[in-house]
Amino acid sequence: MTIVLAAALLLWGTFVAVDLVTVPQGMFSRPLVSATVAGAIAGNVTAGLLAGVVLELYALEVMPIGASRYPDWGPAAMAAGATAALVPGAGRIGVAGLVALPLAMVGGWSMLLHRRQTARSITSRLERVAAGDARVIWQLQREGLLRDTLRGVVLSTLGIAMILAAGLVPWTAIEHLELLDVAVLGGGLSAALGGAIRSAGSGARRRWLAIGAAAGTVVVLWP
Amino acid sequence: MALSPRWQSLIRLLGVQASWTYERMSGIGLAHAAAPLLRDLFRDHSPERRRAAVARSAEYFNSHPYLAGVAVGAVVKAEHEGVPSVTISRLRTALSGPLGALGDQLIWAGEVPALMGLSLASVPLLGWWTVPVLLMIHNVLRIRLTMWGLDLGLREGLKVGAALEHSWLPKVAGTAQRLAAFAVGFGAIVAAGWLLEGRSRASSMSVAGISLAGVLLLLSASTRTRVTGIRFGLVLIGLSLLVIGGLQ
Repeated sequence: MTIVLAAALLLWGTFVAVDLVTVPQGMFSRPLVSATVAGAIAGNVTAGLLAGVVLELYALEVMPIGASRYPDWGPAAMAAGATAALVPGAGRIGVAGLVALPLAMVGGWSMLLHRRQTARSITSRLERVAAGDARVIWQLQREGLLRDTLRGVVLSTLGIAMILAAGLVPWTAIEHLELLDVAVLGGGLSAALGGAIRSAGSGARRRWLAIGAAAGTVVVLWP
Repeated sequence: MALSPRWQSLIRLLGVQASWTYERMSGIGLAHAAAPLLRDLFRDHSPERRRAAVARSAEYFNSHPYLAGVAVGAVVKAEHEGVPSVTISRLRTALSGPLGALGDQLIWAGEVPALMGLSLASVPLLGWWTVPVLLMIHNVLRIRLTMWGLDLGLREGLKVGAALEHSWLPKVAGTAQRLAAFAVGFGAIVAAGWLLEGRSRASSMSVAGISLAGVLLLLSASTRTRVTGIRFGLVLIGLSLLVIGGLQ
């Protein structure tokens, strides 16, 4: 990996980490987007797309609703998309899960730390906030953005380290690697459908989910 | 060329959760977004009045980030009209629940999963073009919704709750959720079919079996609090690596 490529991936990973909650929340952090763009940066957009599709299945289970805890898929999918593009013979679906799932969990945990630090920052300036000092409001927002950027840099650096580590594995010498693909895809499909059934409740939405799944099955099985 | 206060507020609304905490939620972000409008409206008033309005804006507030503009607009108009501070605090409290619930239904349980599900289904057809198309659709809708919310709040002030109730939002939220349910069911199966193309029948059957087991674990009353998709995936990865290692 060249320094320019590493820098481009670091920049993209940091941007998608910040996009999740801080700014602009434009869905750039969705795995489908993050991994596909990372694949394009690394020179193989299709490999990134494949990684993004399988990770999007996982991400559909939990939406980033304010106070809930959720994984940070952005930098994780960046690393997965780039690994799928840069590491030949690794099996794009399996390696996407191998790289992204642990990193997404670390990303979710880092979000909690970030929020606790933001709370400490606000507490230390409580008097000025209560006095309506617009400058301190701006400072808090700017610090929140900088802290989240730093969080994105750390996660993306970890992601790049994982890409480099994946490059050291002699993938083509490993037999039965398709088992990893099956595990990652099976887990993703469980997450998407399980999450959808859970959030659909018991009324009309569950019927629509069943109609969608049936239509999808027809499309897949159509000769 | 300087941006108008409305545009400054709109841009700041894109980062309304930059200082999100469990204690104040989006309070600081709301004050940051309201500041340009308050500065403009209180140009000819004493700085104390503006500072008091900014301080009130920074108190606890929770809503969906895309709909925070409704509260910003309503609170700014109420401040401009000299509404008592107790009433403004009540307005913020009254808006928190509906703006959070409506936004979650419309965006997190509606538009986003609907768009993602349809994107997954269109990947086999459009390839990577799916990504710019989905980004464009989502961000146009998002910006339009934020602008609509801010303008609604600025126009209606204290009456924004009733205006929100009679707007298109509650009706569309229900439709978006049904569309999302269909799209996720459709997209997940089509995407899985695409990812399994060219693989053995045994692989396809294994994926189907694992998915069924996973769905049961995610939904079963005894396991659903501990089993999440990502945890299930990590366990499967661990098991598959053990089996692969054993077969070498």
